[in-house]
Amino acid sequence: MAAQEFYTRMGDGKRVTMTKEKIMADLQAGTADAADMGTIPALTADDLERLLDIICDRNRVVAVEPGNEVVLTYDIGQLDFTGDNGNSGNGVDMGRLEAALIHERALGADTFELAHSDYSIKPVKPVISMEMQTMEEIQQEIIAPFFYGAMPNMGLYYAPDGPYGNPADLMREFKIDESMQQSELAAEHLARDIEYVGNKIMAAGADGFDFDTMASAGDADFVGGLKGVEALRKANPLAYINTGMAGESVMGIHGGIEFHGKTVAGLFPHQQVKVCEEAGANVFGAVCNTNTSKSLAWNMARAVTFVKECVKQASIPVHCDLGMGVGGIPMFETPPIDAVTRASKAMVEIAKCDGV
Amino acid sequence: MTQEELNERAKKAVLTYNINESKKVAQDALDQKVDIVDLIQNGFTVGINQVGDLYEQKKLFLPHIMAAANAMNAGVDILTPHLGDKAKTADNLGKFVICTIEGDIHSIGKDIVAIMLKVAGFDVVNLGRDIPLKDIAKAAADNNAVAVGTSALMTSTMVNQKAFEEIMKKQGLKGKCLTNVGGAPVTQQWADEIGADVYSENAQDCAAKMVKAVKG
Repeated sequence: MAAQEFYTRMGDGKRVTMTKEKIMADLQAGTADAADMGTIPALTADDLERLLDIICDRNRVVAVEPGNEVVLTYDIGQLDFTGDNGNSGNGVDMGRLEAALIHERALGADTFELAHSDYSIKPVKPVISMEMQTMEEIQQEIIAPFFYGAMPNMGLYYAPDGPYGNPADLMREFKIDESMQQSELAAEHLARDIEYVGNKIMAAGADGFDFDTMASAGDADFVGGLKGVEALRKANPLAYINTGMAGESVMGIHGGIEFHGKTVAGLFPHQQVKVCEEAGANVFGAVCNTNTSKSLAWNMARAVTFVKECVKQASIPVHCDLGMGVGGIPMFETPPIDAVTRASKAMVEIAKCDGV
Repeated sequence: MTQEELNERAKKAVLTYNINESKKVAQDALDQKVDIVDLIQNGFTVGINQVGDLYEQKKLFLPHIMAAANAMNAGVDILTPHLGDKAKTADNLGKFVICTIEGDIHSIGKDIVAIMLKVAGFDVVNLGRDIPLKDIAKAAADNNAVAVGTSALMTSTMVNQKAFEEIMKKQGLKGKCLTNVGGAPVTQQWADEIGADVYSENAQDCAAKMVKAVKG
């Protein structure tokens, strides 16, 4: 490596070296891409210089300056330990109580959550009594706010996994109206299930609910999730409700479905947060997707641009999703620590997000 | 009505998802004996490409793409029997087998790509998700496919794209049928490493690159 070059990463985690000039060029291109796509302001020259310093830091691991520490919230429950490496985990088997206490007492988690191994609303329904019992048991021991976490995951409501026609199949047959109708029905079903599962688990002592990966099946999934959040908020005025997104833009699988009169397809983080607020969320989990063919610099600049605008527009705290393939971090089962810490520092100190 | 006016009507019919108008333009073109290949290429296709651009900009979404394709097909179906030898110059790009690779159940991205390929002029054979490698190769052979595309969302399943390249070589399909790889963790470097013919970053990119690859 030449003296004027710096170790950095590509979006797939590959180690590369780049000059300062090349890193700055990628930072500029990354922020321009986000600004163009989201019709939002690009990062300022000062922001880009700051990002450059973070990326070019010669230390393997970087951290926020003292006083800039933020809340750490964790999703996916115990699965980050118990899941295998095809499931974002470490393959270390343990019970849910042990996982909760390790996150609280060893990893410094400020919040944690109970999660079912399938981590989706629908499969929780038949086992809700057992989930309630476990929630009660863990609440006896844990001090940190302890939530229930699940993905709305509306894909499970479509054929072959559920009762509604699959839009992918229907659109392939040009049955567009039917596809839209099935999406709407699935969204209503999802909202009912969220209300059922959410109210039960809140009754068992949960401090709140983390809706992870909202809109993973597109805009109708988002609307179903938002309606569920709305119902849960109505029944539990003091619940802590976190809505984390699946992607930086809501996919238009329906194309025209609305929440409170607003079409949700195509919404970007700074717009997503406003509808989540309306539904009754306390915290918003902003997501920006990583492009595996671009550098860490390009991805970080792009993600920070989206999240900075989201924080600016939000009236509730924004906790940025930072992990495999999101928030500027490479798409790799075990995200490289150099990239994770750089993206985290940038999100806190430049995008000014309230938590990670 | 001039060729340009008919082309403009065809484009507008696609942009407004108007099936009846699309059929009417096609019939008018036949009645007036204008160049129907020109109508397809500079009317209908221009319209669908504009819809594709708006999709890329996230101003239109999948149902809009489908509605536009539906309108375009309604017109093109009327013209096709009259194309004769000219059909070879119109968009009829052959069969494209597509699926999510063995071990991977993620299908939304793959389905979007399938739709964009169909819109681009391929006869798409969508096998679904988690398809065994030998079944993908068999489908490519049975369909005499011009190309086969595999999608992987996870680094733990993208390795099967490499194994698939080996199967294609062993069965003598490599060179006869183009291999296309895509999915979130997949990169150009990975495609080069495993010997895939085409890497696609997203649905639009896939359609554009595959049309170019097939047309030469």
